[in-house]
Amino acid sequence: MTTSTSTPALELRGLTKRYDDGFLALEDFSLTVSDGEFFGLLGPNGAGKTTLISAICNLIRTTAGEIEIFGHHHSTLEARRMIGLAEQDINLDRFLNVEETLIYHGGYYGMSRADARIRAKEMMEVFDLSSKAQTAAPKLSGGMRRRLLLARALMHEPRMVILDEPTAGVDFELRMELWRYIRRLHRGGTTIVLTTHYLEEAEELCEDIALIRDGRLLARDSAAGLRASYGADSLADVYVKAMAL
Amino acid sequence: MNGHAGLIALAGREVRRVLKLWTQTIAAPVMASFLFILVFGLSLGGQIKRVDGVSYEAFIVPGLITMAMIQAAYSNNSSSVYQARLDRYIHDILAAPMRPWEVNLGLAVGGAVRALAIGAALLVLAVLVTPTTVAEPFILLIAVVLALILFCSLGTVVGVYARTFDFQSFISNIVILPLTFLGGVFYSVDLLPSPWEQISHLNPIFYLVNAVRYGFLGTSDVSVPLSLGVTAALAAGAACWSLWLFSTGHRLKA
Repeated sequence: MTTSTSTPALELRGLTKRYDDGFLALEDFSLTVSDGEFFGLLGPNGAGKTTLISAICNLIRTTAGEIEIFGHHHSTLEARRMIGLAEQDINLDRFLNVEETLIYHGGYYGMSRADARIRAKEMMEVFDLSSKAQTAAPKLSGGMRRRLLLARALMHEPRMVILDEPTAGVDFELRMELWRYIRRLHRGGTTIVLTTHYLEEAEELCEDIALIRDGRLLARDSAAGLRASYGADSLADVYVKAMAL
Repeated sequence: MNGHAGLIALAGREVRRVLKLWTQTIAAPVMASFLFILVFGLSLGGQIKRVDGVSYEAFIVPGLITMAMIQAAYSNNSSSVYQARLDRYIHDILAAPMRPWEVNLGLAVGGAVRALAIGAALLVLAVLVTPTTVAEPFILLIAVVLALILFCSLGTVVGVYARTFDFQSFISNIVILPLTFLGGVFYSVDLLPSPWEQISHLNPIFYLVNAVRYGFLGTSDVSVPLSLGVTAALAAGAACWSLWLFSTGHRLKA
């Protein structure tokens, strides 16, 4: 299958996920994210954001529905290569140091050892991790681990990056720094899907925002569009009104 | 992009883990098994008459090497996979563009390399202190390959199903170790009275120990094709089970 610039980066059709214990995390969820878009997902804990991301990245089994990444079924090798994921929780390999974490990740995504080494060096410079190259992941500070998680997600130069609450628990300085990097990435043409609890973060960064609750899409528009639809002065008011309905 | 770079990287990661922890993963089991050879073989061996036409210290070496290798293959893969699930860095592997068989094989390589390193070290040490030889190298090679497939796969399966670290130890200490000891590591089952001799034939590890022993000594308590056949059937079953887990995501993906 060939992809064109008009092919959406992400297309979900009727996605449903019911866990083995019967909990319905997503129900008939449909969504399209355009190539190059900066897209935000907002919702309370348990709304289905992480389930949605896990489904896209083949980390859970879906109950029904279709997921396509740049026109490819999400389970194909082509689709997987085009996604970079930084999960909400720090899930770094405890046996590897910073440089190895990046190099092995590059290998998992098909990069040759030589290319992965060069790219890892670049990523360590970008994320200010060079001085910690030989430090084991568990010995890094919280902020450093968060940077490494992001560097790992970008290591194989994915066309779409999924960031699940990338700034949760990080200090103000690092948050600003991550914002700057994510913006730069987006300007370079990368599609960004961001989940966050920080409404100002979504308003500041995202072109389009989806509000989800109980596994359903409540609304989707730009921040200005959402404010107008809900007759609200701020995104916070939109959020409160949407979640109260 | 390299076609099998994912498999190579994952296998490399597993070997790296083994080498980083070499004192635990290689040195300790070699030392423990070598002590068995010294204590049981050299100290007590003089008190025991020849078994199946060979000296007792030479007789126990194949079984001890088998025991050390299968324990290493199993425990390496069960702990590596369980740790990856516990810390969730297995997500980095499950999300990556790798085929299920590549993930399955890549994860298995660490246990195989660890077991081979232990086996090679023990063989060198055994040759230095006992009259150990390799009578049938081709049979030995087949037996070792089948043993590695069986116990690397079993370790991966247990690592996927385990809910606690204790569960892996339970399988190792309550299932594998007793079956290995009762599989004729230290004695020939021909020496056992009835019905224990017949019961020993129900122990799958008995066949593996005898296949390896035939490779070393050219003598076995049971037909070599039967030993290899039983071990091959078990290895095929374990490998298919392990592959099925990665193909379906069962127990790996909610």
